Amino acid sequence: MFKKLFSNFVKKRNLAKLKDERFRFLFEEDTSGEYVVFDTETTGLDPKKDEILSIGAVKIKDNKILTSQTFEIYLKNSAEISSKSIEIHHIRPCDLENAINAKEGIEKFLHFIGSRTLVGYYLEFDVAMVNKYIKESLGIQLPNEIIEVSEIYFDKMMPLIPQGNIDLRFDTILKKCGIPNIGAHNAVNDAIMTAMIYLKLTQER
Amino acid sequence: MSILDQRELIASIHPFGQLSSRELDALMKKIDIAYYTKDTLLISKDIESIAFYIVIKGTVHEYIDEQLHNVYSHGDSFDADALIYGKTESRFVVDEDLICYEIKKEDFLDLMQNKKIQSYFLQDFISRHKHLKEFDSQSDLTPFLMAKVSEIFLHKACIVDADVSIYEALQEQTKLQAKVIIVQEEDEYYIVTDTDLREKVLLESLSTDEKIIKIASNKIITIESSDFLFNALLIMTHKGIKRLVVTEDEKIIGVLEQLDLLSYFASHSHLVAVQIQKAKSIDELKSVSEDIKNLIVMLRAKGVKVRYITKLVSALNEKIYKKVFEMSVSKELLEKCSLIVMGSEGRAEQTIKTDQDNALVIDDNVNEELFVAPMEQLNAYLLELGFPTCKGNVMVSNPFWRKSLHDFKGQIEEWSNSLDEKELQNLSIFLDAKSVAGDETYLQTLRNYLYENFSQREDVLAHLAKAVLNFETPLSLFSGFVLEKEHNNKLDLKKGGLFAIVHGVRVLALQYEIDETNTVERIKALNNKGIIDKNFAEELIESFDTISSIRLITLLEAKELEEENYINPKNLSKNQRDLLKDSFKVVNKFKKFMNFHFHLNMVV
Repeated sequence: MFKKLFSNFVKKRNLAKLKDERFRFLFEEDTSGEYVVFDTETTGLDPKKDEILSIGAVKIKDNKILTSQTFEIYLKNSAEISSKSIEIHHIRPCDLENAINAKEGIEKFLHFIGSRTLVGYYLEFDVAMVNKYIKESLGIQLPNEIIEVSEIYFDKMMPLIPQGNIDLRFDTILKKCGIPNIGAHNAVNDAIMTAMIYLKLTQER
Repeated sequence: MSILDQRELIASIHPFGQLSSRELDALMKKIDIAYYTKDTLLISKDIESIAFYIVIKGTVHEYIDEQLHNVYSHGDSFDADALIYGKTESRFVVDEDLICYEIKKEDFLDLMQNKKIQSYFLQDFISRHKHLKEFDSQSDLTPFLMAKVSEIFLHKACIVDADVSIYEALQEQTKLQAKVIIVQEEDEYYIVTDTDLREKVLLESLSTDEKIIKIASNKIITIESSDFLFNALLIMTHKGIKRLVVTEDEKIIGVLEQLDLLSYFASHSHLVAVQIQKAKSIDELKSVSEDIKNLIVMLRAKGVKVRYITKLVSALNEKIYKKVFEMSVSKELLEKCSLIVMGSEGRAEQTIKTDQDNALVIDDNVNEELFVAPMEQLNAYLLELGFPTCKGNVMVSNPFWRKSLHDFKGQIEEWSNSLDEKELQNLSIFLDAKSVAGDETYLQTLRNYLYENFSQREDVLAHLAKAVLNFETPLSLFSGFVLEKEHNNKLDLKKGGLFAIVHGVRVLALQYEIDETNTVERIKALNNKGIIDKNFAEELIESFDTISSIRLITLLEAKELEEENYINPKNLSKNQRDLLKDSFKVVNKFKKFMNFHFHLNMVV
């Protein structure tokens, strides 16, 4: 009860800071019954310094991943991409030729997610990355509810290995859940695979 | 990038690979991924199909009447029929947690606007099967082997009336530059060759004023112009002739010469036959039989249908048998008996030399003892030529398979009253008997005696037919866990599919008194008698052909004899796996048919 009150309070305070009325829909109640799984590729792991290179997202409804409405954008960046991060996300400067500017891209993303609950793997980081952009332009943080798949996985595995360390690495979870590795790690593929993990963990009886 | 990965996967699934790049892009925008847990019922009589499914991971079982009909796993898709016709008799149940692509019904039906996709899904089983096969062999099919008789050069036919003089006929022949003269006498046609002219006119000093019909000997042998050249070669090899008269709508349009035909074929199958004929010693025969294996390998590589290859090989082996028989048996005894081959050889389905399965029927008035030594010699010769001895001792050296006509009749009476497993097995072997040397009327007599004794004996027939159900069709093996461990996770093509078709058809042939021994010919005959309909007959033939051809590839590659019937489905291409699955479906359908036909569920 208190928790709910508290979150409502936070939400209201967040709303009060909204600078752009066009994005009021982010605070409205979600009636679609859908979830959005998303993943970002960034230039590094520090939300303060680093920037988003690409965002991939898919919607989930019931037991389906709506790959028919896949969301994928590449963002223009201020700085050169460091060669070290290229090794991780395989996004080379030339891949960003079709990139759009960051403000426009993030707004597209907000329209895609609406007020739906967000699902992801270590989503805290991705949300923080997005917040960095919208705090500046809209004055707010993402108000959406958040579901963390590694947490669901942890809760599921806990009774099975009470004393052991639960390996929460993405590839390990994939393997344990029997999800096929559908291709290179990029934002969309990772989002789809995360969605599969989510369905596997929640649909299974 | 990422959307490309998904796109590639879809494009790798037949027939989506035939879509244009733009169509594929549009399709990608309509595909969702769905997750279903074990035991979810996806489609059934009461649950209308709402989407087309393509399996990414997991397995789905399709049941018809509670019987496992098909298994779908990675890369497989289902079920177009349920979407197109809006109903299905099958139940599709998730067997292992399923992740799949889904194309919604409307979108799938939209997709059907594409002609290629449409024809693939709308075609019935048989044409879809052929479609897949074509796709499979596009790479290595040599078109000329599939060439029709009409495509090759034909010599002009020189047709003359029966009562023209030899001289006039020769003038006509020269004018047309024909190799032979065809003589018409009312509705019959005869042939006059150079040999006839030489032997009857020149050597016997016959006047060229005589009527041409006087020197004509043989009736013509014809082939339709729409037939395959390969069949023409078969007929020539089988009958030992050098030319065929080609007809179109029963009218003679030309003459096909062996020489022209041979220039079409790189192989020298006919020459092999000639070599057999001319061989004077076992050693000469040996070198010829080496050629046969090479011939098979080559024909197979050229995409020739297995049933034609097996027929050809059987025809060649028959000649070897005949030759060896003549080498072993003294002249005066040759026509006093009938040498028969049984098993796959009798059915003309054998590819590479299989075990010897032979028997000898002896005239009642001849002392059987006279044949003991020659038959032992025969077995020894065949062994030397690379025909392994039969493990079950079904050979002419065994007195059980070397009997007088009278004793064989007694044996048949015994068979018709016995339910003993061993006897039923011997009967099955005998049912495929085919005469290869000596006087074949002995075998025909026995055949008729068989029909007499087995008419109205549904009880024994049912017992004989029961063996069809002996082995499970290995359909579930594709899901990946139940492959035969002791055979390196492979499945048995013979037990799993071929045996049921061969044996079932064999029993039906006995019941309906069909003389043919070849399985395909028997199926055709059963269809002609109205026992099975045309569609089912074609399905059976295609399936039989598919399983046999996959088996042939394995046979050629097998290092050990014991492994020859085993294949690892993982080593097959996606198309071959689909074809094999479809074939096993037909095997199951056939088993059901046999079950119903002989009331097998009532037979203990």
